[in-house]
Amino acid sequence: MAETDTEDAILAAHFAAARRMVGAMPAELEARILADAAQVQAGRTAPGPARSAGAGLMQQFLRVLGGWPAMGGLAAACAAGVWIGVAPPDFLPDPVGLMVQGDTDVNLLDSYALSSVLPEEG
Amino acid sequence: MARAGTITGPGGLRGGSAAAPGDLAPGDLAPGEDAEAALSDDALVALFANGDERAARRLTARLGPRTFSVALRVLGDRDEAEDVAQEAMMRLWRMAPDWQPGQARVSTWLYRVTLNLCIDRKRRSRRAGALRLDDVPDPPDPGRSAPERMQDGARADALQSALMSLPERQRQAVVLRHIEELSNPEIAGIMEISVEAVESLTARGRRALAAALAGRRDELGYSDG
Repeated sequence: MAETDTEDAILAAHFAAARRMVGAMPAELEARILADAAQVQAGRTAPGPARSAGAGLMQQFLRVLGGWPAMGGLAAACAAGVWIGVAPPDFLPDPVGLMVQGDTDVNLLDSYALSSVLPEEG
Repeated sequence: MARAGTITGPGGLRGGSAAAPGDLAPGDLAPGEDAEAALSDDALVALFANGDERAARRLTARLGPRTFSVALRVLGDRDEAEDVAQEAMMRLWRMAPDWQPGQARVSTWLYRVTLNLCIDRKRRSRRAGALRLDDVPDPPDPGRSAPERMQDGARADALQSALMSLPERQRQAVVLRHIEELSNPEIAGIMEISVEAVESLTARGRRALAAALAGRRDELGYSDG
């Protein structure tokens, strides 16, 4: 029993010594850990990468046209075209009339009779 | 035991103060060091996730030494222990936004990650051996005399040699119980075993350590008291 108590006391002294010996963290390790933390935080708060690589078809189309302002101009031009088609101004021909107009016959030999031409050659 | 590499998120083991990441903003540490020191680990993790740099410093000061100490005692190699401590803390930084407050203690999670990283290390390199005297940082207690510090160093060195002769799980349990001074239930949570298994591991570990150190009593200054 006394021997067990002695063993326990010796072990307790060893453990206490171990606790005293490993109380500090090396300064360079602390610096490395804090650098990692800063890097992780910077990665979370930094703006995302440019989306050009993952841009969809619509974005590419817009970019070719010149962006949203150009797209607005194009839409306005389309609307004007539709309006002119539906209600054309007076100085323009009626588009409906142009579409349904029938064929016109033109007789270029109206003043000549074929029977009077052939005998002259013979 | 779950391997560190397979831990996908913080697991719930025990309760703690609740602080969701959205509840705390970086300015919440403004009142000063006292208020900062009073914050729970959960709250500091939430602050870190919200970009507070001081939370990183506080968490490092609070958890870094423990992480390093456990890794050093389990691995017996200072360089490897530093790498493990750095990696364990890096996992803490990375999982901070996903931390579920109140489900687990940050320190418990970190101890578990550290031990699993130690196991991975030891499997990769079997070079760990007895701790050298120059592996041990300077004692933090300046009040102890030079002979006392030398004796501490010799005893810690002898203990580390004996620890390295123990089976892995016994060594982990003994380090957590007798050097980190954690409770048996807490160790059971970290090692994911029952409390009875922890008691068994520490009891066998103590017997083995006592036997290993028995022949060095005179050398280590126990003969006169």
